[in-house]
Amino acid sequence: MTDQITTHPSKPSERMRAGSLTLTVGPWVVAAIALMIMPYIFTSNSALTIMNQMWITVIFALAYNMLLGQGGMLSFGHAVYMGLGGFFCMHIMNYVEDFGLALPLPLLPLFGGLFGMGFAMIIGSFSTSGAGTRFAMISLGVGELIAACSVIIVAFFGGEEGISGDRTYGLPFFGIEFLKQIEVYYLISFWLMLSALLMYLFSRTPVGRMANAVRDNPERAQFLGYSARWVRFYSFCASGFFCGIAGGLFAISYEILTEENLNAASSGVILLVTFLGGVGFFFGPIIGAIVFTLLQTVLSLQTELWAIYVGSLFLATVMFFPGGLAGLMMMHVPAVRLGKAGGLLVPYVKTLVPAAIGVLGICALIEMVFHVRHGATGDVEMTLFWTTFDSHTVLPWIIAALVAVVGIGIAKATAPGLKEAWDEANTPGGAS
Amino acid sequence: MELILVNIIDGLVTGLLLFMLSAGLTLIFSMMGVLNFAHASFYMLGAYFAYQISIALGFWVGLLVAPLIVGVMGAGVERYGLRRVHQYGHVPELIFTFGLALLIEELVQFIWGKNQMPYSIPEVLDFTAFSIAGNSIPAFKIFMIFTSVGIFIGLLFILTKTRVGMIIQAALSYPRTVEALGHNVPLIFMGVFGVGTALAGVAGVIAGPVLGTFPGMAFVLGSIVFVTIVIGGLGSLWGALVASLLIGWITTFAKSYNIAMSDILNGLGIATPENMSENPLRDLWTVTSPQIADILPYILMVLILIFRPAGLFGKRES
Amino acid sequence: MSVPALELTGLKKSFGKAEIIRGIDLSIGKAERHAIIGPNGAGKSTLFNLITARFPPTAGTVKLHGEDLAGLEPYQINRKGLSRSFQITNIFPAMSVFENVRCALLWAQGYKYSFWNLVNNSRGLTEGADAILDQINLLERRNLPAGTLSYAEQRALEIGITIAGGADVIMLDEPTAGMSHSETDYITDLIMKVTEGKTLIMVEHDMGVVFGLADRISVLVYGEIIATNTPELVRADSKVQEAYLGAALEEEH
Repeated sequence: MTDQITTHPSKPSERMRAGSLTLTVGPWVVAAIALMIMPYIFTSNSALTIMNQMWITVIFALAYNMLLGQGGMLSFGHAVYMGLGGFFCMHIMNYVEDFGLALPLPLLPLFGGLFGMGFAMIIGSFSTSGAGTRFAMISLGVGELIAACSVIIVAFFGGEEGISGDRTYGLPFFGIEFLKQIEVYYLISFWLMLSALLMYLFSRTPVGRMANAVRDNPERAQFLGYSARWVRFYSFCASGFFCGIAGGLFAISYEILTEENLNAASSGVILLVTFLGGVGFFFGPIIGAIVFTLLQTVLSLQTELWAIYVGSLFLATVMFFPGGLAGLMMMHVPAVRLGKAGGLLVPYVKTLVPAAIGVLGICALIEMVFHVRHGATGDVEMTLFWTTFDSHTVLPWIIAALVAVVGIGIAKATAPGLKEAWDEANTPGGAS
Repeated sequence: MELILVNIIDGLVTGLLLFMLSAGLTLIFSMMGVLNFAHASFYMLGAYFAYQISIALGFWVGLLVAPLIVGVMGAGVERYGLRRVHQYGHVPELIFTFGLALLIEELVQFIWGKNQMPYSIPEVLDFTAFSIAGNSIPAFKIFMIFTSVGIFIGLLFILTKTRVGMIIQAALSYPRTVEALGHNVPLIFMGVFGVGTALAGVAGVIAGPVLGTFPGMAFVLGSIVFVTIVIGGLGSLWGALVASLLIGWITTFAKSYNIAMSDILNGLGIATPENMSENPLRDLWTVTSPQIADILPYILMVLILIFRPAGLFGKRES
Repeated sequence: MSVPALELTGLKKSFGKAEIIRGIDLSIGKAERHAIIGPNGAGKSTLFNLITARFPPTAGTVKLHGEDLAGLEPYQINRKGLSRSFQITNIFPAMSVFENVRCALLWAQGYKYSFWNLVNNSRGLTEGADAILDQINLLERRNLPAGTLSYAEQRALEIGITIAGGADVIMLDEPTAGMSHSETDYITDLIMKVTEGKTLIMVEHDMGVVFGLADRISVLVYGEIIATNTPELVRADSKVQEAYLGAALEEEH
């Protein structure tokens, strides 16, 4: 029953503040500052590249969540809107270069957004009449269709090689030619803040609120005077717009777009990213994008099997914590409000650390199996967790198995304690 | 004329294969409201298992045993995975099956590697059944047709003439009522899911030697299967049959007759533009039917969705 | 003679071979409180669904303030001033109570599909929603998720959402279903208060509610209306007593 915002219903001034913007400005300012100083903490070029990729994925994931989380619409072919926006921007870049028009680079993503939105309007005109399975199937079919067309329509999509361009084409923008990674970084950061802010505000507009309503109860929304179909359509177009912006930023950052940007794999990835982060909260996709990009770039260097781990993680998320990482975090809010979250620290360490170690043991076994089965004959050495050993001897297997069993065993043993601590932390009253 | 006959047979093979997959998918969808994204993955598993078994015990043992293994796995997925996620709603169910499809593809690569497996036609069927106008029709294709048709007849018989079939048909529309009558509906669900995936497995066993056994095979066929049931109408077995055959024949004919778009456009009275390499529409002019054969189903689906949203035989919004 | 708020002429509905509604003629005047009663399976919910265009009639017309509603979608009918509640509580459980009501106000206050207004900054929306919450006595529950409310509170919220948009023809589908006596009295008072001056059409099973609230009653049996009259005359009608009221009346007294 407790409210973060204490309001006395009869005091108009307090009531107004209850929903106003001022309360939530804080996180945005913090994020902006963090974005600006991060290049000074992580200075290497590869770090910059990773961050650029992260931010582009964040915009894409937030746009995707406008449909999935806010609107309850599952799309299996959403990469096309980002891809199309990107291709369009690529062509503009080349066109401007050939004809010398004065289009400043920072404005380019806007055109990507408009193109993405345009396409969304076309597709949305027939795809948004349903929200569930039918919508998902249409999105899949349309996505496949456009991806397949992209190999055929070489004029626009460049066939196998894609379309490439040069972002330093035009006149410098206030002296910045965007030759350096860091300049691109700040451009992307600017668009990230702007897009995220606009998408957040969108969810607070009448059409954004009705999108939630239509998601929860389309029939009821009809009897509030709103056509569920139109609400979904507007959400779809808005999502297409921001996807196009992400595409434009991709074009600027990588200077090449290919069929890969449109295909079902990319669509699948963004679904995974968004769901992993958590569809129920605005910041969920942000977390998902950051975590996934890290996994993709860092983990893939460590092991060839990273896709299996990520896939398993995804499946576990769907089955056991469908609220995603954001949901997991927000589960702790009641305990924090009660001031009892501290009591969870030790039980978490007792259970999660052994569990993590156990999982690592299982991973080691999986890696070893893979190495033995698919390694080149004669290549018996493998490196895991900074140790090099011969995967064809028994000892590493025994160690890994032991670690797995012991780790999981301890975790299982301490789990009831964690449950107790959890219940305790969520019950008001009593000494903490 | 003879070419048409060859194409009819080829299209029939493809269509029946598609139907084996889409029938199982439709059964599962009608019963549980779940569109099993991983359905084509079970098809792939069928092929791989059959290949593995055939190395040691021969093709025929593989044909018998692999679908059974796949069916059991499918039942297990329903019991331990899907049932858990079911409580969260349709969208999480879809996402679950999607994640499953991802994982199965990764696991297949993990176990068997990324290359195509040398899963080949058994020697006893590896001959030419007959020729039509110089095109040889492999006996294996005839075998595929007979197997598919045989399975359908068997399925039709079970569904319409046996007691189990009646219960399943009832549970397809009114699961709660059937449960209230004392039947173990969760068990029926598990069974139907298992049979549906086993069907996909059979398709994999017979298609593997012909279409190739490689980790991408699920993905290649998977989206076509969904297109098929959308065209046929979600939840309709007849629709699945008609749509499968339609797609089988359309793609086969499109591939075999090299119809160039430029000929069609010229025939409509539009002259070919002169400077082709500069013309932005040049791809439209140079496209030929084999190129677009694989995307014709998608175009058809989009057209159906615009003009007849429920599909050819579909019921209204499920 | 003023235009009736709602007029049904020769209304029929069949599902396949089953004829559920067999021809209904009914005229409900402005600001009239009209109850529709009848045994289970008589077709009351179907009738409601016909009027609100959940599905189209097989024959006959529905006129709202003299305007034929044929071919209109539910949201269009709603915009013309007809609002309904549902038999099974149909609110937005994930949103707060306040947000539920606010959504009901959006169209009425002219916001349409705008994406350039922020709802939080609109005094009209906030004060309007709070006023409704006050009317239905849910102001204290304002910020709770609607799904956590008790059953009766949710039904009250349902009524609040139904009237919030300012519709002048309100249709309530079994508003007191599943409630205890005290809850029923509470809801009945609430309905009286919020439908002041509006046309009310109500499907109900609870005779006490019906006789206390309604100006006129229609009795629906097997898809036909066998009597339409003031409560006293309906109670005295022998056909009605035979078909339906007899046992129920004895129960009530």
